Amino acid sequence: MPQDMPPSGGYEAVQYKRNLPARGFRPATLLGAAGVIMLYGWYKLTLGIREQNEYAREKMWSRIHLIPVLQAEEDRDQVRRHLADQAREKELMGENFKVYHGDRYVRPTYAVTPGEVSK
Amino acid sequence: MAARKSVFNQQVLYDTTPLPDSIPKVKEVGASSAPLLSASFFIGARCKDYNDDYMQCKNENPGKGEFECLKEGRRVTRCARSVIDDINKSCLEQFRSHWACLEDNNHQLWQCRPAEWKLNKCVFENLKLEKVVPDQPQNSTPVHLRKTQIYAHRSILRGEPFIPEKNQTPSS
Repeated sequence: MPQDMPPSGGYEAVQYKRNLPARGFRPATLLGAAGVIMLYGWYKLTLGIREQNEYAREKMWSRIHLIPVLQAEEDRDQVRRHLADQAREKELMGENFKVYHGDRYVRPTYAVTPGEVSK
Repeated sequence: MAARKSVFNQQVLYDTTPLPDSIPKVKEVGASSAPLLSASFFIGARCKDYNDDYMQCKNENPGKGEFECLKEGRRVTRCARSVIDDINKSCLEQFRSHWACLEDNNHQLWQCRPAEWKLNKCVFENLKLEKVVPDQPQNSTPVHLRKTQIYAHRSILRGEPFIPEKNQTPSS
Protein backbone atom coordinates (compact mmCIF):
# COMPACT_ATOMS: atom_id res chain seq x y z
CA MET A 1 0.00 0.00 0.00
CA PRO A 2 1.40 3.38 -1.00
CA GLN A 3 2.31 5.51 1.94
CA ASP A 4 1.12 9.15 2.40
CA MET A 5 4.01 11.31 1.56
CA PRO A 6 4.47 15.11 1.80
CA PRO A 7 3.57 16.90 -1.33
CA SER A 8 6.41 17.37 -3.66
CA GLY A 9 8.24 20.53 -2.80
CA GLY A 10 7.24 20.33 0.89
CA TYR A 11 4.33 21.74 2.87
CA GLU A 12 3.49 25.42 2.75
CA ALA A 13 4.67 27.57 5.61
CA VAL A 14 2.11 27.63 8.42
CA GLN A 15 1.03 31.23 9.12
CA TYR A 16 1.21 31.55 12.84
CA LYS A 17 2.07 35.29 12.97
CA ARG A 18 -0.71 37.83 12.99
CA ASN A 19 0.16 40.40 10.47
CA LEU A 20 -1.57 43.45 11.99
CA PRO A 21 -0.18 46.96 11.61
CA ALA A 22 1.27 48.45 14.87
CA ARG A 23 -1.02 51.33 15.96
CA GLY A 24 -0.06 54.53 17.69
CA PHE A 25 3.26 56.11 18.46
CA ARG A 26 6.47 54.29 18.82
CA PRO A 27 7.29 53.19 22.36
CA ALA A 28 10.24 55.54 22.50
CA THR A 29 7.98 58.48 21.67
CA LEU A 30 5.49 57.45 24.34
CA LEU A 31 8.22 57.13 26.91
CA GLY A 32 9.58 60.52 25.96
CA ALA A 33 6.15 62.15 26.21
CA ALA A 34 5.56 60.62 29.61
CA GLY A 35 8.93 61.96 30.68
CA VAL A 36 8.08 65.46 29.50
CA ILE A 37 4.75 65.41 31.38
CA MET A 38 6.51 64.21 34.48
CA LEU A 39 9.16 66.90 34.27
CA TYR A 40 6.46 69.57 33.95
CA GLY A 41 4.75 68.15 37.02
CA TRP A 42 7.97 68.21 39.01
CA TYR A 43 8.59 71.79 37.92
CA LYS A 44 5.17 72.91 39.19
CA LEU A 45 5.64 70.88 42.36
CA THR A 46 8.96 72.61 43.01
CA LEU A 47 7.35 76.01 42.63
CA GLY A 48 4.58 75.01 45.01
CA ILE A 49 6.94 73.63 47.63
CA ARG A 50 9.10 76.74 47.49
CA GLU A 51 6.09 78.96 47.97
CA GLN A 52 4.89 76.85 50.88
CA ASN A 53 8.33 77.14 52.45
CA GLU A 54 8.05 80.91 52.29
CA TYR A 55 4.58 80.84 53.86
CA ALA A 56 5.98 78.68 56.62
CA ARG A 57 8.92 81.03 57.14
CA GLU A 58 6.58 84.00 57.38
CA LYS A 59 4.36 82.24 59.89
CA MET A 60 7.34 81.09 61.91
CA TRP A 61 8.77 84.60 62.15
CA SER A 62 5.45 86.09 63.15
CA ARG A 63 5.36 83.56 65.96
CA ILE A 64 8.97 84.26 66.91
CA HIS A 65 8.10 87.93 67.31
CA LEU A 66 5.13 87.05 69.51
CA ILE A 67 6.65 84.39 71.75
CA PRO A 68 8.23 86.81 74.29
CA VAL A 69 4.93 88.64 74.77
CA LEU A 70 2.95 85.48 75.31
CA GLN A 71 5.58 83.87 77.49
CA ALA A 72 5.97 86.97 79.66
CA GLU A 73 2.26 87.05 80.34
CA GLU A 74 2.20 83.34 81.14
CA ASP A 75 5.21 83.67 83.44
CA ARG A 76 3.62 86.48 85.40
CA ASP A 77 0.51 84.39 85.84
CA GLN A 78 2.52 81.40 87.00
CA VAL A 79 4.45 83.53 89.48
CA ARG A 80 1.23 85.01 90.80
CA ARG A 81 -0.28 81.57 91.30
CA HIS A 82 2.90 80.21 92.83
CA LEU A 83 3.19 83.03 95.36
CA ALA A 84 -0.48 82.73 96.25
CA ASP A 85 0.02 78.99 96.67
CA GLN A 86 3.02 79.48 98.94
CA ALA A 87 1.15 82.02 101.06
CA ARG A 88 -1.78 79.66 101.34
CA GLU A 89 0.51 76.81 102.37
CA LYS A 90 2.21 78.97 104.96
CA GLU A 91 -1.10 80.02 106.39
CA LEU A 92 -2.42 76.48 106.58
CA MET A 93 0.71 74.53 107.56
CA GLY A 94 2.83 77.15 109.27
CA GLU A 95 5.81 76.64 106.98
CA ASN A 96 6.66 76.03 103.35
CA PHE A 97 7.78 72.48 102.61
CA LYS A 98 10.46 71.83 100.07
CA VAL A 99 8.89 69.21 97.85
CA TYR A 100 11.50 69.05 95.09
CA HIS A 101 15.21 68.44 95.34
CA GLY A 102 16.67 71.59 93.80
CA ASP A 103 15.38 75.10 93.33
CA ARG A 104 14.05 74.83 89.80
CA TYR A 105 10.54 76.09 89.38
CA VAL A 106 8.18 73.21 88.57
CA ARG A 107 4.79 73.93 87.12
CA PRO A 108 2.25 72.58 89.59
CA THR A 109 0.45 69.40 88.66
CA TYR A 110 -2.31 69.91 91.18
CA ALA A 111 -4.13 73.09 91.98
CA VAL A 112 -5.96 74.04 95.13
CA THR A 113 -9.59 74.68 94.42
CA PRO A 114 -11.16 77.37 96.55
CA GLY A 115 -14.08 76.39 98.74
CA GLU A 116 -16.59 78.64 97.08
CA VAL A 117 -16.19 79.39 93.41
CA SER A 118 -15.62 83.03 92.69
CA LYS A 119 -17.10 84.12 89.36
CA MET B 1 -26.87 62.31 83.17
CA ALA B 2 -28.66 65.50 83.86
CA ALA B 3 -28.31 64.98 87.59
CA ARG B 4 -24.55 65.42 87.39
CA LYS B 5 -23.41 68.99 87.63
CA SER B 6 -20.86 69.93 85.03
CA VAL B 7 -17.49 71.05 86.34
CA PHE B 8 -15.44 73.46 84.32
CA ASN B 9 -11.82 73.86 85.23
CA GLN B 10 -11.69 77.48 84.24
CA GLN B 11 -14.24 78.22 86.95
CA VAL B 12 -12.93 75.95 89.64
CA LEU B 13 -9.26 76.77 89.09
CA TYR B 14 -9.86 80.48 89.10
CA ASP B 15 -7.32 81.95 91.48
CA THR B 16 -7.91 85.65 91.86
CA THR B 17 -5.08 86.41 94.29
CA PRO B 18 -3.17 89.36 92.82
CA LEU B 19 0.60 89.66 92.66
CA PRO B 20 2.15 91.04 95.85
CA ASP B 21 2.80 94.76 95.94
CA SER B 22 6.56 94.19 95.82
CA ILE B 23 6.22 93.23 92.14
CA PRO B 24 5.30 96.20 89.92
CA LYS B 25 2.05 95.92 88.03
CA VAL B 26 1.83 96.01 84.27
CA LYS B 27 -1.20 96.12 82.05
CA GLU B 28 -1.46 92.99 79.95
CA VAL B 29 -1.60 93.13 76.16
CA GLY B 30 -5.18 91.96 76.08
CA ALA B 31 -5.33 91.34 72.34
CA SER B 32 -6.55 88.05 70.92
CA SER B 33 -4.70 85.92 68.41
CA ALA B 34 -5.73 87.56 65.14
CA PRO B 35 -4.78 91.15 66.09
CA LEU B 36 -1.54 89.82 67.56
CA LEU B 37 -0.75 87.92 64.37
CA SER B 38 -1.60 90.97 62.31
CA ALA B 39 0.67 93.21 64.40
CA SER B 40 3.39 90.62 65.00
CA PHE B 41 5.95 91.91 62.51
CA PHE B 42 5.54 95.46 63.80
CA ILE B 43 5.94 94.24 67.37
CA GLY B 44 9.04 92.43 66.20
CA ALA B 45 10.33 95.54 64.45
CA ARG B 46 9.97 97.86 67.42
CA CYS B 47 10.52 95.50 70.36
CA LYS B 48 13.35 93.36 69.03
CA ASP B 49 15.82 94.48 71.70
CA TYR B 50 13.39 93.93 74.57
CA ASN B 51 12.37 90.55 73.16
CA ASP B 52 15.98 89.47 72.78
CA ASP B 53 16.78 90.62 76.32
CA TYR B 54 13.89 88.64 77.69
CA MET B 55 14.69 85.48 75.76
CA GLN B 56 18.34 85.75 76.79
CA CYS B 57 17.33 86.13 80.42
CA LYS B 58 15.10 83.07 80.15
CA ASN B 59 17.91 81.17 78.52
CA GLU B 60 20.40 82.10 81.22
CA ASN B 61 18.06 81.16 84.07
CA PRO B 62 16.78 77.70 83.25
CA GLY B 63 14.15 76.67 85.77
CA LYS B 64 14.10 80.06 87.49
CA GLY B 65 13.33 82.35 84.55
CA GLU B 66 9.74 82.84 85.68
CA PHE B 67 11.00 84.73 88.73
CA GLU B 68 14.26 86.22 87.48
CA CYS B 69 12.91 87.65 84.25
CA LEU B 70 9.84 89.49 85.52
CA LYS B 71 11.45 92.86 84.83
CA GLU B 72 12.36 91.98 81.26
CA GLY B 73 8.90 90.49 80.80
CA ARG B 74 7.26 93.73 81.89
CA ARG B 75 9.35 95.64 79.36
CA VAL B 76 8.33 93.22 76.62
CA THR B 77 4.66 93.57 77.48
CA ARG B 78 4.84 97.36 77.71
CA CYS B 79 6.55 97.58 74.34
CA ALA B 80 4.06 95.25 72.62
CA ARG B 81 1.23 97.25 74.19
CA SER B 82 2.69 100.47 72.87
CA VAL B 83 2.82 99.07 69.33
CA ILE B 84 -0.78 97.88 69.43
CA ASP B 85 -1.92 101.17 70.97
CA ASP B 86 -0.13 103.17 68.28
CA ILE B 87 -1.60 101.05 65.50
CA ASN B 88 -5.03 101.48 67.05
CA LYS B 89 -4.56 105.23 67.18
CA SER B 90 -3.34 105.81 63.65
CA CYS B 91 -4.39 102.81 61.55
CA LEU B 92 -7.48 101.44 63.25
CA GLU B 93 -9.49 100.89 60.09
CA GLN B 94 -6.78 99.03 58.16
CA PHE B 95 -5.80 97.06 61.26
CA ARG B 96 -9.35 95.94 61.86
CA SER B 97 -9.95 94.94 58.26
CA HIS B 98 -6.72 92.92 58.22
CA TRP B 99 -7.30 90.98 61.39
CA ALA B 100 -10.95 90.43 60.54
CA CYS B 101 -9.74 88.95 57.26
CA LEU B 102 -7.28 86.73 59.13
CA GLU B 103 -10.08 85.64 61.43
CA ASP B 104 -12.19 84.69 58.41
CA ASN B 105 -9.37 82.85 56.65
CA ASN B 106 -8.06 80.44 59.23
CA HIS B 107 -5.22 82.84 60.16
CA GLN B 108 -3.54 82.27 56.82
CA LEU B 109 -1.56 85.39 56.09
CA TRP B 110 -1.45 84.78 52.34
CA GLN B 111 -5.24 85.03 51.98
CA CYS B 112 -5.23 88.65 53.15
CA ARG B 113 -2.54 90.39 51.12
CA PRO B 114 -4.50 93.44 49.90
CA ALA B 115 -5.61 94.28 53.45
CA GLU B 116 -2.10 93.62 54.69
CA TRP B 117 -0.53 95.98 52.12
CA LYS B 118 -2.88 98.77 53.18
CA LEU B 119 -1.98 98.17 56.82
CA ASN B 120 1.75 98.03 56.06
CA LYS B 121 1.53 101.31 54.16
CA CYS B 122 -0.33 103.08 56.94
CA VAL B 123 1.94 101.72 59.66
CA PHE B 124 5.07 102.64 57.75
CA GLU B 125 3.88 106.16 57.10
CA ASN B 126 2.70 106.78 60.66
CA LEU B 127 4.92 104.66 62.88
CA LYS B 128 7.94 104.02 60.63
CA LEU B 129 7.69 100.30 61.26
CA GLU B 130 8.33 97.97 58.36
CA LYS B 131 7.40 94.35 57.85
CA VAL B 132 10.46 92.29 56.99
CA VAL B 133 10.54 88.52 56.84
CA PRO B 134 14.18 87.58 57.48
CA ASP B 135 16.22 84.86 55.78
CA GLN B 136 14.29 84.76 52.53
CA PRO B 137 16.08 83.70 49.34
CA GLN B 138 17.60 86.69 47.59
CA ASN B 139 16.56 85.77 44.05
CA SER B 140 12.78 85.86 44.57
CA THR B 141 10.18 88.41 45.56
CA PRO B 142 9.61 88.49 49.32
CA VAL B 143 6.60 86.36 50.08
CA HIS B 144 4.43 89.17 51.42
CA LEU B 145 4.90 91.25 48.26
CA ARG B 146 3.81 88.67 45.69
CA LYS B 147 0.80 89.44 43.53
CA THR B 148 0.34 85.87 42.32
CA GLN B 149 0.10 83.17 44.93
CA ILE B 150 -0.48 79.52 44.15
CA TYR B 151 -2.31 78.62 47.33
CA ALA B 152 -4.55 81.65 47.79
CA HIS B 153 -8.26 81.02 47.39
CA ARG B 154 -8.79 84.21 45.45
CA SER B 155 -6.50 85.89 43.00
CA ILE B 156 -5.56 89.46 43.82
CA LEU B 157 -7.48 91.73 41.51
CA ARG B 158 -6.94 95.08 43.17
CA GLY B 159 -4.24 96.46 45.36
CA GLU B 160 -0.54 96.96 44.90
CA PRO B 161 2.16 95.56 47.19
CA PHE B 162 3.54 98.21 49.48
CA ILE B 163 7.30 98.58 49.16
CA PRO B 164 8.76 101.34 51.31
CA GLU B 165 11.17 103.62 49.51
CA LYS B 166 14.72 102.80 50.26
CA ASN B 167 15.87 106.36 50.98
CA GLN B 168 13.63 106.65 54.03
CA THR B 169 14.34 103.33 55.64
CA PRO B 170 13.30 103.50 59.30
CA SER B 171 16.06 103.41 61.85
CA SER B 172 14.32 101.33 64.51
